[in-house]
Amino acid sequence: MNSSVENNISEKKDFVVSSSSLKDVRSFSREVFSKVNLNQDLKDELVLAIAEAAQNIVKHAYQNQETDDKMEIKISLDNGELEIGFFDKGRPVDNSNVRHRKIDDVKPGGLGTFFIKQIMDAVVFKEGEKPWINHLILTKKINY
Amino acid sequence: MSYKVTEENNISIVHLDGEIDMDVTEKAKEVIMPLIEAKKEVHLNLKDVQYMDSSGISVLIESHQKATELGTKVVLKDISKSVLKVIMMAKLEQILNLG
Repeated sequence: MNSSVENNISEKKDFVVSSSSLKDVRSFSREVFSKVNLNQDLKDELVLAIAEAAQNIVKHAYQNQETDDKMEIKISLDNGELEIGFFDKGRPVDNSNVRHRKIDDVKPGGLGTFFIKQIMDAVVFKEGEKPWINHLILTKKINY
Repeated sequence: MSYKVTEENNISIVHLDGEIDMDVTEKAKEVIMPLIEAKKEVHLNLKDVQYMDSSGISVLIESHQKATELGTKVVLKDISKSVLKVIMMAKLEQILNLG
């Protein structure tokens, strides 16, 4: 194995809550995953899941409204347990309203959550600790 | 995202390039929808699209549905590996026209 590749990481970054930040979210995620020993297909899927969750913050927690608020994304990998945390100060998420598209329901919308649930093992919404309002946790067991 | 529109045998071919996310979906729709509304057959060349998220997939669905409603069609051409993967993840390979 390449000695420059790590299997344990913990990195976080703030982004302005805006659709224009999504490319920066992807760049950050790609940069973090470039340091770990995962296959490229899985890295691409994880970047998609992270970008979809960030997009949901822009679309739902902030309802596409312009803001100076920031969201924080934290990516941690510890002995094969990947945890991705999202923190925001938007509208509190009502977990009962979070639903993904049904497989045979061909319409735009709900696809982002559908992708996240396909890619990750678990999706948990929590109340954020101050100053945050929402804390979303995505987890996945990584098999090397 | 950048794009180029060409015309061949009365088919409008839209070459999309770059990453298609929520930030550029309005721009993509502004390019594609008027062609469909003019009842043209539209081919979307996705060879140079390196990334597409659920917002981009929504543009493909809306385009397909609008075209069907107006009696024309949208065909996806030269789909890049990464875009095909997302289309299949969305289970749309049997619904969208993959040419």
